[in-house]
Amino acid sequence: MPLSRPGLRPNSVTATNANETEAGIPFILNGKALLANSGEMLIDACERNGVHIPRFCYHPRMRPVGMCRMCLVEVDTGRGAGLQPSCMLTVSPEMVVNTESTETKQAQEGVLELTLINHPLDCPVCDKGGECPLQDNAYAYGPGESRFVEEKRHFEKPISISSLVQLDRERCILCDRCTRFADEVAGDPLIHFIDRGSQTQVNTFPDHPFSSYFSGNTVQICPVGALTASPYRFKARPWDLAETESTATVDSTGARIVLQSSQDRLVRVLGVDSDAVNWSWLSDKERFLHEATDSNDRLTEPLVRSADGLTPARWTHACELVGDALNVTASQIGVIGGSRLPLEGQYAWAKLLRGELGISNVDAQLGDGLPGEVMLGLPRATIAQACAPAGVVLILGADPKEELPSLYLRLRHAASQDGTKIIELTPRATGLSPNAAISAHPLPGQVGVVAAAIADGKLDAEVGGVAPGQLGAIAELLGSGAPVTVIVGRGNLAESASFTVDAIAALQRAVPEARFLSGLRRGNVHGALELGFAPGLAFGGGLSEDPGLDTAGILRAAANGEIETLLLLAADPLADFPNSELAADALKNVATVVAVDTFLTASTQQANVVLPAAMTGEVDGAFLNLEGRLSPLRAKVSAPGQARPDWMIAVEVSQSVGTPLDFGSIDDVRAGLAADVSVFGSLNWDLLGASGDGPLLEFNRTWEPQFGEPVVAPLPDGYGLRLIVDRKLWDLGTMVQQSESLRDLPEVAAVHLCRQDLEGLGVSEGDDVLVEWSNGSQSLQVRREVGLPRGVARIPFRLPGFNVGDLLSSEDLVAEIRVTVT
Amino acid sequence: MGYFEGFAVTLKKWGEGVTTKEYRAGKLDSKGEISPKDQKAPKPERAHGRHVLNRYEDGMEKCIGCELCAGVCPAKCIYVRGADNQPEDPTSPGERFGFVYEINYLRCIHCDLCVEACPTQAITETKLFEFSFTNREDAIYTKAELLVDNDGLPQHLPWEDWRPGEDEFTSGWMRATASSGKVQYENTVGWSGELGYGVRAPEMGQRHPGESPPDADTDQSGATSGEDQGSHH
Ligand code: SF4
Ligand code: SF4
Ligand code: SF4
Ligand code: FES
Repeated sequence: MPLSRPGLRPNSVTATNANETEAGIPFILNGKALLANSGEMLIDACERNGVHIPRFCYHPRMRPVGMCRMCLVEVDTGRGAGLQPSCMLTVSPEMVVNTESTETKQAQEGVLELTLINHPLDCPVCDKGGECPLQDNAYAYGPGESRFVEEKRHFEKPISISSLVQLDRERCILCDRCTRFADEVAGDPLIHFIDRGSQTQVNTFPDHPFSSYFSGNTVQICPVGALTASPYRFKARPWDLAETESTATVDSTGARIVLQSSQDRLVRVLGVDSDAVNWSWLSDKERFLHEATDSNDRLTEPLVRSADGLTPARWTHACELVGDALNVTASQIGVIGGSRLPLEGQYAWAKLLRGELGISNVDAQLGDGLPGEVMLGLPRATIAQACAPAGVVLILGADPKEELPSLYLRLRHAASQDGTKIIELTPRATGLSPNAAISAHPLPGQVGVVAAAIADGKLDAEVGGVAPGQLGAIAELLGSGAPVTVIVGRGNLAESASFTVDAIAALQRAVPEARFLSGLRRGNVHGALELGFAPGLAFGGGLSEDPGLDTAGILRAAANGEIETLLLLAADPLADFPNSELAADALKNVATVVAVDTFLTASTQQANVVLPAAMTGEVDGAFLNLEGRLSPLRAKVSAPGQARPDWMIAVEVSQSVGTPLDFGSIDDVRAGLAADVSVFGSLNWDLLGASGDGPLLEFNRTWEPQFGEPVVAPLPDGYGLRLIVDRKLWDLGTMVQQSESLRDLPEVAAVHLCRQDLEGLGVSEGDDVLVEWSNGSQSLQVRREVGLPRGVARIPFRLPGFNVGDLLSSEDLVAEIRVTVT
Repeated sequence: MGYFEGFAVTLKKWGEGVTTKEYRAGKLDSKGEISPKDQKAPKPERAHGRHVLNRYEDGMEKCIGCELCAGVCPAKCIYVRGADNQPEDPTSPGERFGFVYEINYLRCIHCDLCVEACPTQAITETKLFEFSFTNREDAIYTKAELLVDNDGLPQHLPWEDWRPGEDEFTSGWMRATASSGKVQYENTVGWSGELGYGVRAPEMGQRHPGESPPDADTDQSGATSGEDQGSHH
């Protein structure tokens, strides 16, 4: 198996003990005296010393199981030479290993002959053909002949084990990689070996599809073509793929990926084994969302509103209109969005809007985030620091499994295998709850009070729905001396962000040396914040002297007719802002709406001018992930029609505004960025080179977040249920909806209640109930949810069936609904 | 070479008379008919002409859309895309069929490597090369044009010069080596039957599978049936 196989970087075999080579364990490999790291597996030690041992089941990111026996080598530990699986053997002192002996070769040939007995001759139609470890090993180590002339074992050809993954059991060589991944890494043990003997097969449990958020990883690690991904099935063959390493922009984790294209279309995304970030794993969203790039609905030319609606126009004409729209008083302009853009696009726009035009009503988050001046001012942690063995991680806010799935896998690994203690201070049970040391779920609006009680040592009485025992246990863990990392996100869109901010302040008080990892989820939102796409931050770095309006403020001002021009930088407030009514009013009352986007969304359809932008995979650039790592984005395919990179659009618009930006290439943009924004001032852009994860930025802030007086939530009125509105991985987001294979994955909106509340209402799961709020009502299915506190209802955001944004108001600190039986 | 020497070469060649030989085919007489003197020269037995995509004897397409031919083509003139067979109405046996298939004859060098690469003998070459197109589109043969018709015979495209009876000789039977490249196969027919022609007769000392070898000493194990060929296992 060549090392250059996509997804596996050489030298990333295991991170553990990487620096112990000096005082290593002496062993002899094919007559050469060498040193192994302590605890290193023989297969890895050989690989590191240039001797490749064939393997199928061994995967450096999972526990070895010794299923396939492909890695047998002759080993002498003093008791005479014998064949041993090198993936199960840690190197011991004075071990003598021979990978070239006749015995080893015979064992390899025998194992391959046996493996191929029941393996079909499918190579020409098999998606793995051409990049198949079984093909490669059969050529390199196989006997070349088979003595088997009997009929092979037959199974029904591919069966769908989920809507994304197909399983061909005839091709399976029973290596246990997929099943181990599902159980050990993803924590969704939905596939397993069933039956015995020659009928042994991987399969799902009856009526339980393999509907894991991480199912695509099994396709990537299957050493044969037994597992194939429906979106890629028969799309291309390995030899017509061109590839480049890039970064996933789906969420702010910035997972490292390989983009593969054929005929100028993105056809496949693989995870790269990046030690710092995603360890080769991806969520299915990061893996399959590229389908949207190829959608027929992409915007390909500028559109301008005329009597017949939006009609195609020339770039120059459209940009002139945008220039006119921006030629008004700065305070009458609102800018929403910007987190989809690569850093260079963000900078070009920020330079024009903030630097040249002095606009301060700029916000990259749509009422679902946290204030930039708080988030940037906190002492930062990296993913590796958060996941360091034996640390403590406090999750404040959102469910990482739904919002930051690649980060979730790292945290899950840390908790389940490295002894990291997880404390949940989340509105409800999350994907990490089974692995958490403490799961506390403050009632909506109470998280600040709960954190303050912990900080102040008031641990004897229940606070905000958290029992005294839990408060004490949290305080004890936080004070245990282990390094503490707080992952901060927005777990409930129906409560004001200020409660989370209060909790941050309290936790900083409780553990002054705690570090923070931002859980803001939107793609490149951290790049946007560095460039001042937040009302409280200044362009160039630092706090703004004269803060502008945030998204809610902009929309409110717009609804009141105080905003002349609304610029949407890949933002869709109508669908994505948790107060649909306000967003609709705003868009109606603004004179000119300008949208820079990739699709015609609900909001862009209302725009006066629409400029088509190129998206991920079509542009070069940089991406700043949640830990402050600057990773490269690379173009692999060309943008459709006249769509352009965002920085070019900003330059074009700047010319019609009359303050032309002097950028002719991406290097010019980067030079400007380094000159204008201090954080990027000393950056060596060459570090964004061909491989590697990109540099971690050093922020050296000269300011600290200022916290005001804690906000007090009104007490529940006793009749209603406090509402939690949170996000699911699969929702009605534009990109998901534009991806053919993902479109149908979002579940239908329902109201979730705990068992006691269901019983109190006298309804059971699946019944219809009436959800009422101050000025409306809606009939919804009810679902039972384990881990939801009493007196709380949850309705996820942006799901088919009901737009919960309809009932939210950004004025309210908390939201309440009533649920009655219809 | 200087500026004027070039002209000198041109002028010298001008006086030398025409050396291009008339191609002996396709010339029509004044009545618009092919003159009896203008017969096509007999083609060598293994001449390489344009391709056909074959069908099995039951009419199913042989091509499985594997792209091996496209991958091996040194002129990069083949474009193939595969797709899932409809289980109720399959185009080819198995899961996958050739959904798009195009060969660009402005590029093809008739090396026959595609024929060798093909695991199902779906693509073979005829002896037909006498065609002249007037636009690029005609030069790119699509799957509909390459596929043999319901009788297993190549389709006569308007820009191809066919003489009566020639379709009999246009079947794509053309193999350079044994299908697996194995020595043992050299004497055994290792190919599947095709619509219109059935299983091709053995040539040059080959024999049908199952027939006992004329020389009983030769070890023929490993070469058993047509289905097994192409295996690397
Ligand atoms: S898994 Fe590998 S060896 Fe098996 S049919 Fe597919 S390509 Fe061939
Ligand atoms: S399906 Fe693939 S990964 Fe799973 S056991 Fe079989 S060969 Fe291994
Ligand atoms: S013609 Fe043969 S080699 Fe080419 S795609 Fe079809 S089956 Fe594969
Ligand atoms: S790799 Fe060692 S037994 Fe499979």
